[in-house]
Amino acid sequence: MSDLATALVFWPVAVLMLATGLFVFITSSMARAGLLLLAALGLEGLLFLALASEFLGVLMLLMMSAEMVIMVFFMVMFMPDPGGLMGMDMTHDKRRSIGAAVILGLALAIVAVVTDWPARVLPPDAPDVRAIGFEVMGRSMFSFLFAAMAILFTMVGGVLVAKQGGRYER
Amino acid sequence: MISLPVVLAVAALMFAIGLYGVLGQTNAIMVIMGVELMLGAAMLNVVGFLRYAHPDATGGSFFVLILMTLMALEAAIGFGLVIATFRNRRTAEIDDLADLKG
Repeated sequence: MSDLATALVFWPVAVLMLATGLFVFITSSMARAGLLLLAALGLEGLLFLALASEFLGVLMLLMMSAEMVIMVFFMVMFMPDPGGLMGMDMTHDKRRSIGAAVILGLALAIVAVVTDWPARVLPPDAPDVRAIGFEVMGRSMFSFLFAAMAILFTMVGGVLVAKQGGRYER
Repeated sequence: MISLPVVLAVAALMFAIGLYGVLGQTNAIMVIMGVELMLGAAMLNVVGFLRYAHPDATGGSFFVLILMTLMALEAAIGFGLVIATFRNRRTAEIDDLADLKG
């Protein structure tokens, strides 16, 4: 993808991603919030595609679409006002949290802009999905196995924490 | 045109939105959503560095893969805790879970 094409995809998708991310915490309907988060993370997957990370972009779209659908179920199950029809305010410390988020966001953005980062041009023979496949089976095998084991242990741990009659039952 | 500072600045704004969610929301599920956004911002950072600072590194993709795994694990454990809390207290509001507050 050329620089111009990257810019043409990047800007609208980035603005839309930030807007949907913000609306997750503004809307009062939980189903809508879950779908907005799905949209935000899906758009992030499109950003990955625009930034020449095809493998990660597609993986992000696949993973987030499954994860966010599960999250919508949990939100509808456990929120006191899932439809947002009772007008409940589900925020606290609003002014301080907005202040902290704005200050930290601006500080990080300013540091990102003023720092002199290295700038290298994407070489024509940049690693593609095939190279990532070889990386998985080679040098990065251990980290890949570690991630797989972590998922397995978390599945068992999550069930143990949530099951009825466990040690946290009162 | 797009450059590394632009990507990092967008990621910083996304991180800030996630931080607002974590600090400002009262429900545990919404807090988990805020953490997801913050981890998403971290992933965007890594992809930006991969594209603009180390375009010839394949190993860098694994930082994003590990972060993606972390996102799934955080959600799984978070949902497990929410189920356990809801079963005990009939609520997932974090303001009601202040037993250890001094």
